[in-house]
Amino acid sequence: MSTAQALAEAAQPIHPPPTSFWRQYVFSIDHKVIGKQFLWAGLLFLLVGGTLAMLIRWQWAFPYRPVPVLGQVFLGKSGGVIGPATYQQIFTTHGLVMIFFAVTPVLIGCFGNFLIPLMIGARDMAFPKLNMYSFWTFLLSQLLVLASFLTDLGSAGAGWTTSPPLSTNVGTPGLGQTLVVAAIFVTGVSSTMGAINYVTTVIRLRAPGMGYMRLPLTIWGIWLTAILNALFVPVLGSAALLLLLDRNFGTQFFVAGASAVRGGGDPILFQHLFWIFGHPEVYILILPAWGILGDVLPFFARKPHHWYKGTVLAMVIVTVLSAMVYGHHMFMTGMSPLLGEGFMLFTLLISAPSMVVVLNWVLTLWRGSLRFDTPMLFALATMFVFGVGGLTGLFLADISMDLYLHDTMFVVGHFHFTMAAASFLAAMTGIYFWFPKIFGRKLDERLGKAHFWFTFVGITLVFGGQLLAGYAGQQRRLFDPFQYTFIQQLRGLNRWTSFFAFALFAGQFIFVWNFFKTLFGKVASAGANPWEVTTLEWTATGTPPPFHNFDRIPEVVRGPHEFSNPEVRRLTGRDFAGQAEVLPGGGERGLAAAKG
Amino acid sequence: MTALGAGRAALALAVLMAGAALAAPAPEAGYGLPRDVSVDGFRIDELIHFTLAAITVIFVVVAAVMIWSFVNHRRDRPAFYSHGTGRSIGVVVGGVAVILVGVDGYLFVHTLGDIHGYFWNFPRAEAAEGAVRIEVNAHQWSWNARYAGADGKFGTPDDIVSVDDLRVPVGVPVIVQLASTDVIHSMYLPNFRVKQDAVPGTITRLTFQAKVPGEYEIACAQHCGPNHYKMRGVLTVLAADAFRQWLAEAGDDARRGYDPEDAEAHWGWEWRRLEP
Repeated sequence: MSTAQALAEAAQPIHPPPTSFWRQYVFSIDHKVIGKQFLWAGLLFLLVGGTLAMLIRWQWAFPYRPVPVLGQVFLGKSGGVIGPATYQQIFTTHGLVMIFFAVTPVLIGCFGNFLIPLMIGARDMAFPKLNMYSFWTFLLSQLLVLASFLTDLGSAGAGWTTSPPLSTNVGTPGLGQTLVVAAIFVTGVSSTMGAINYVTTVIRLRAPGMGYMRLPLTIWGIWLTAILNALFVPVLGSAALLLLLDRNFGTQFFVAGASAVRGGGDPILFQHLFWIFGHPEVYILILPAWGILGDVLPFFARKPHHWYKGTVLAMVIVTVLSAMVYGHHMFMTGMSPLLGEGFMLFTLLISAPSMVVVLNWVLTLWRGSLRFDTPMLFALATMFVFGVGGLTGLFLADISMDLYLHDTMFVVGHFHFTMAAASFLAAMTGIYFWFPKIFGRKLDERLGKAHFWFTFVGITLVFGGQLLAGYAGQQRRLFDPFQYTFIQQLRGLNRWTSFFAFALFAGQFIFVWNFFKTLFGKVASAGANPWEVTTLEWTATGTPPPFHNFDRIPEVVRGPHEFSNPEVRRLTGRDFAGQAEVLPGGGERGLAAAKG
Repeated sequence: MTALGAGRAALALAVLMAGAALAAPAPEAGYGLPRDVSVDGFRIDELIHFTLAAITVIFVVVAAVMIWSFVNHRRDRPAFYSHGTGRSIGVVVGGVAVILVGVDGYLFVHTLGDIHGYFWNFPRAEAAEGAVRIEVNAHQWSWNARYAGADGKFGTPDDIVSVDDLRVPVGVPVIVQLASTDVIHSMYLPNFRVKQDAVPGTITRLTFQAKVPGEYEIACAQHCGPNHYKMRGVLTVLAADAFRQWLAEAGDDARRGYDPEDAEAHWGWEWRRLEP
């Protein structure tokens, strides 16, 4: 054991695993259990958010007609028909549930928790108890959202951006909106706790030899996301708190115009607070996705990541720029042209690092030895939808084109391709890829591929349909779009898009089936390293990992993507070398020479 | 019928149909951009078409490289060991630089020209001979409009006030000052390619110039409550003479119908002039 390893062992001694049921499975401080808890909570709300999406699609396909099945269950009072007030609650909560309560817990809560200690070679998070509090706070915020549906006037209806004065009592009275704003605040507290934990863990608990330039890209993505969360979620929290004061204690931070008493405040102030969080939020959701792709693509192309340092640099630049572009959400609020131009410039510039990331992926695939397992298929689909989402962003970065496209379905299609499709498909990439590590078994490949094709084709058609509708001018959030003459001709398009959405939703049950079948059926153990990859969670510990993760804290000797190195093949007969693997017979020098 | 005859017949039919389409604006057809009936809308359409072409080229090139890789670089073939060579990194940096300058740079420069020259150039619109000024008060869920009337002053008895019904002439700039009494709305004129939020507590501006007479829609683009979808108005573009006539008659009617007791109708403000 080296000195560095001995020091790491001394700093992180092995604790005995808990024995009581409550400590083991419920109030656990084990990052692996907390990761699983976030996964369950997130997947459950993914179903809630997806169901809400189906209701929206039903409304656009068949306005004023009773919703089959779901309508009888949830909308009994109106005979199953969605009314305008119900409709605004449906699209508002769809957005909030998906962003804060479904994708965030899966991508950041589950993968962040489960993977950070295992991939950097640590025994647990830096603050295991804070980690537990983070989950239970998060669960409270989910319960607040569910409770909001049971109030007299129903849930929140002011849109996911919760812009005042609509979100104040001027536009949306009732307890439902208050509960949801409170839920945003509470989930912000949870995210901040998680973020501080992640940032600290990556800085302090990397195994000996795990320098920043040897970190798996997944960890880079999650770490940068955690930094953004720590910086900007508190801003969202303060905006939510001020909004709660406006709603319940008679202040007027965000109320102006005729409803204001003695001058009032400024609704635009809220938008600044919201979007200086809200745009980094886009990257909060996409950086872990980029990170996962940054590892999964080289793993299944059996090739080192192309220009690893370039990708890391690009991700850092995106993180820095992410808060300097937010004004493009507010181009139409009457902001100073000079300010608008500044935001436009930064928004156009942020496309450069994003393109570096994507081109590096393409060159990672180039001349690889591609293995099309399910995680790889999902990773490639993520590349595709992120490409479409990123390219359509060019229209919206630009003030001139925004004059026409702002607040249309084009925006909806664009951010669904990036935030929804890319982060969802990346989450699926991660779930298929790490499932054997999390649960010890591999998901069924045949069902996985069926799920993949349903999802990939479905997502492209649904969000492509939204882009088309927006290109023709259809505004977002219309209860009945066909009130307008100029979008009459889009009736067929909207209906077809809805049919594709229903198919997409139905296809997800293949995944649910696969998930439970693998978890509870008779499936053989996946073994320690089923994908033949390099990172510590696969090469330095067993499946599933013990409570203390590593019997001995590994000493890392190389980067995360050492694939198809001829020297490694000569020494081991394999095409990969684990990050902490010591090659036989002084292989290190030969390796360095081959790499040089 | 000869080929020439068929061609002539087709041409005549096309002209006839085009004429009919111009005379009575019908609902849009197809999935393209709505018909542009403004003087400056083509600037936006041109940028949209440029961007569409550029991203199509980028997408096709990258997808072609990937598909080539899927077909030819299968698992039965050993991978080429490389963390990236100077040349391959050069391809990435060079590719990004070309797109950044050629596409992003093009958009940035053209947009600066467009917004300073036209879309947000309010001093130019204000200075134009015969420019039409309208105050619009957006509220849940309609557009109240106010014209200054013959005296050119807002907030006087000859102000013409209407609901969800704006009228403008062709060929001169129209300047709209927007206010809102309750929540944020957004005035969206799809056929003119413009949009502007109406924000409580401030007055925002919108300018455009109509080219083709007809009836077009005013849409609300910002979620503003349950009946957001019903916040629809009609913008009628009239020939210059017809507009003058309407303005005079409506102004006379307004003066005759003026009710000093009706506080609800007196929401106008003194026109805010912008310093150039």
